[in-house]
Amino acid sequence: MHSFHKRIFTKSPGGERLDDAVKLVFDVMAFASIMVLVVSGLAVIASLMGIFNLAHGEFVLLGAYTVYLFREWGLPIWLGMMVAPFVVGLFGAVIERGVIRRLYSQPIIAMLATYAIGLIVREIVRGLIGGQYYAVAEPIDGSWSVGGLNFSIWRTVIIVSTALVMLGAWLFLTRTSIGLQIRGALENPALARASGVSTTKLYALTFALGASLAGLAGALMVPLFSLSADLGVRFLVQAFLSVMLGGVGSFEGPLLGAAMIGSMVPGFQWLREIPGVSAAVSPVVAEVLVFVAALVIVKFRPNGLINSGRR
Amino acid sequence: MKKAEAAKRTRKVLPIVEAALLVGLLAVPHITSDFQTIIASRMLILAILAISFDLCWGWSGIMTFGQALYFGVAGYVAALLANKAGIVELLLILPVSMATGLIVALLIGWFLLLGKRTPTVIFVALGTLTASYAAERLVAGWQWVGAANGMSIWEFATIGGAEIEPGMLFYYFILAFLVAAYLLSRRIVRSQFGLVLAGMRQNEERLAYFGYRVQVFKALIFAFAGMLAGLAGGLYAFHEGFIGPASMGMGLSTYAVLYGLFGGIGTLAGPIIGVGAIETLAFVLSDINALKPYWPVILGLIMLVVVVYRPTGLLGLVLSDRERVGSYGLGGDGAAATEKAKAAAAEPAEAKRGAA
Repeated sequence: MHSFHKRIFTKSPGGERLDDAVKLVFDVMAFASIMVLVVSGLAVIASLMGIFNLAHGEFVLLGAYTVYLFREWGLPIWLGMMVAPFVVGLFGAVIERGVIRRLYSQPIIAMLATYAIGLIVREIVRGLIGGQYYAVAEPIDGSWSVGGLNFSIWRTVIIVSTALVMLGAWLFLTRTSIGLQIRGALENPALARASGVSTTKLYALTFALGASLAGLAGALMVPLFSLSADLGVRFLVQAFLSVMLGGVGSFEGPLLGAAMIGSMVPGFQWLREIPGVSAAVSPVVAEVLVFVAALVIVKFRPNGLINSGRR
Repeated sequence: MKKAEAAKRTRKVLPIVEAALLVGLLAVPHITSDFQTIIASRMLILAILAISFDLCWGWSGIMTFGQALYFGVAGYVAALLANKAGIVELLLILPVSMATGLIVALLIGWFLLLGKRTPTVIFVALGTLTASYAAERLVAGWQWVGAANGMSIWEFATIGGAEIEPGMLFYYFILAFLVAAYLLSRRIVRSQFGLVLAGMRQNEERLAYFGYRVQVFKALIFAFAGMLAGLAGGLYAFHEGFIGPASMGMGLSTYAVLYGLFGGIGTLAGPIIGVGAIETLAFVLSDINALKPYWPVILGLIMLVVVVYRPTGLLGLVLSDRERVGSYGLGGDGAAATEKAKAAAAEPAEAKRGAA
């Protein structure tokens, strides 16, 4: 179903063990990067506004769909990837203005509303693409090699752009005055308002920002996965598990959780390379095993793996 | 004095709704065609599922996005019993379905609710969603249970040895179960146990200070709801002669949420009306081909509108807040209590604790 795994994990004849290992590491890093992008958007909205955005997976889906649309229109795919974060960010802003904004005092109702929004987006996309799976080619195909080892260019692009975006977000939050206002509103919204900071504007901005991060993640990862309407659900579930694994309450916790979930997904698939395992464990089972593993960890480390020592 | 009288008058609406519903449901097979009776039977089954959602969310503040899980697992167990063991006796199958739903819900409830840390609404919501999603994915890839094609049951079910096919008789059989499930649920939520649930939803911490182990109460009602969902699943598998991965996953779970919210949560009767309204709409609209692919979109829009503008649902139009969840037994202290009930209805349970 996901061309990603099929393509990467086909066994190469002969002793290319090292190449395989490099591929695995790159897959793990690329997937972890995407999860970090998804979760950072989710976490920034959740921590600032106290709203767990159940439509976040559908923001990822919209990002992927934008890229698909650009391909359908015959426009360059890379352009679609550049545009996708803005499209999804704009969509996020509209949603915030139209719906979420009136529900800040009732986070649970807001959560239900985002669930409904997610449902609407998912089903519209399903109607538009007709319940099919679509593959989108990598804009930059091929690989670069150092010392006889081949590295996939596209995975490199994903890893590098995630690192850049995260660096940019960190600089934005710590070095700009808007970043300072956001941090202030996070700490004490009432005091921030009393100091003349418009939290409404900040919330709208942050929501749009979080949405555009999800859109970027969706755009970057669509060549690795096939596009289908249920893509978003999967990412929502994985993002939730990431947040649970990393622990709530800090910013880096969920990101580390995201990196862990991101590595477990290709990691568990890779386990199937071991002779005998692949017969017993189908790709779907491997995917579900990730959920089970994460939930078991959460059950016994309820504050998250990373945070458990700190609380 | 006047207020008390008014309260007394409004308090009588719910019994009227219940009686009207019962009479209406009894009359349905006499005024519809055979085909429509079968559709109506399916609605009754879904109504049991909807009631199980209402018990969780409307009465106990447990947000469950995975109510279809127990429905689906029980349905699969029923189908397996029929196909692999040749057991089609409903009087045997249905207790097994209920036990299946109960056990699965106990497991999930133990996992999600009885942790070291008090679970937030979000945690439970996404935990149930994850379980349901994972189960659907697993079943869809599992050849032994028919993978994505699901399982068909070719034989008709029997009741005490007599064959029963979908139609008027089956309708009344299901209706009997619906009424039993309704009365049992009603009995539970209006008992001392139900009062604890209501108190828990209003202020969980205070109940905990009183010495109640609130999470245990939640797990119990959650398991009971799972049992009802299991009953519905068993009935569904035999009534439809089919069970598939879609009956286990997010799709049907979402429907359960929607039925409850649309009909009016915290009333038990509301979800039945919700099922009737939404399924009838679906039935009517399914004739219009242009709309068909976008029907789930319409559902999403309905859900959004209900959530944002009318959290009390359809039944909230005719029912005073006093008659909805947990307000019974209160003295006639007028507007203040009503306002409080309204606020509580709008955001049950640990809403104040936030999304984190």
